[in-house]
Amino acid sequence: MANTIIGSTIVIDGEITGDEALYIQGTVKGRIALEESLYVEEGGEVEADIETQNVEISGNLTGNITATERVEIKETGRVVGDVKSPRILIADGAVFKGHIDMEV
Amino acid sequence: MADNGTVIGENIRITGHVSGEEDLTVFGWVEGTVELSQSLHVEPSGIIKANVSVATAVVSGVVVGNITASEAVELLQGGRMVGNIIAPRVVIADGAAFRGHIDMGEVDAPEASASSSRARSSRPASTRRQPSRPAVAPARPAARPAARAKDPAPAEPAKAVEAKPSKAEAEAKSSPAKSTKAPAKVEEVVAAPVKASGRKKKASAKEAAAES
Repeated sequence: MANTIIGSTIVIDGEITGDEALYIQGTVKGRIALEESLYVEEGGEVEADIETQNVEISGNLTGNITATERVEIKETGRVVGDVKSPRILIADGAVFKGHIDMEV
Repeated sequence: MADNGTVIGENIRITGHVSGEEDLTVFGWVEGTVELSQSLHVEPSGIIKANVSVATAVVSGVVVGNITASEAVELLQGGRMVGNIIAPRVVIADGAAFRGHIDMGEVDAPEASASSSRARSSRPASTRRQPSRPAVAPARPAARPAARAKDPAPAEPAKAVEAKPSKAEAEAKSSPAKSTKAPAKVEEVVAAPVKASGRKKKASAKEAAAES
């Protein structure tokens, strides 16, 4: 029950912070800062700068991502923005436009 | 879990504008504005600092801000709210804390809203010395909404129990000394469902006393 879900008809314009997993099926604009995992699910629309531990994207995301652990763009995912993370996975079929920094 | 709408977890904080067409359950913190076509549930751990516009709001947590509901607002036990409520139905349960104004809309014709606001502003100054009829009358509509809101639940049990005590009361009146046992029991029974209305009566009595 600890998970937070932003449902498909919900629109949030602002800032989300916290330290638990966040699932986005709806629309979020602004900024997201988590000490946990962020899941942008299919149908999810995110237009935000993101700072988290893990990000898993199956929906649309526009903005810069800074993850301390891992960023995964799934096959249905679409990302426009710069990604900075030690581990980055881009699945076959995913769409990505931007810069990647793995801190090499 | 995704079946019943959106959940804002206990450790999540949202600042900004939240809108949507589904139920929103808040265990965490939301600050800004909330606009929903469905219901908002503020759970005991939830904190809302926002102006809220929803169909129904059920508050067991904390709300600071105004709530405009097209259907109902329920302030449950443990719920705490500071702000104004505009809703056709407002329920404030025993154990809830509330400070603010309640507007249930067309209570008693259009004059009700005007006169109640007049009563509010004039009560501290003038009504004490001039317990004139018109001053007292408008105060009543203000008190009534709360009464009506509470009625749906306690109304039936109260009625059901009232039938019994009438007999017991008669006994009590006829023999006040030995009656201690029976009415005590009855009182207990009565106390539970009627508690709310009893307190309400006290409140209105107080109000009346203040006015006279």
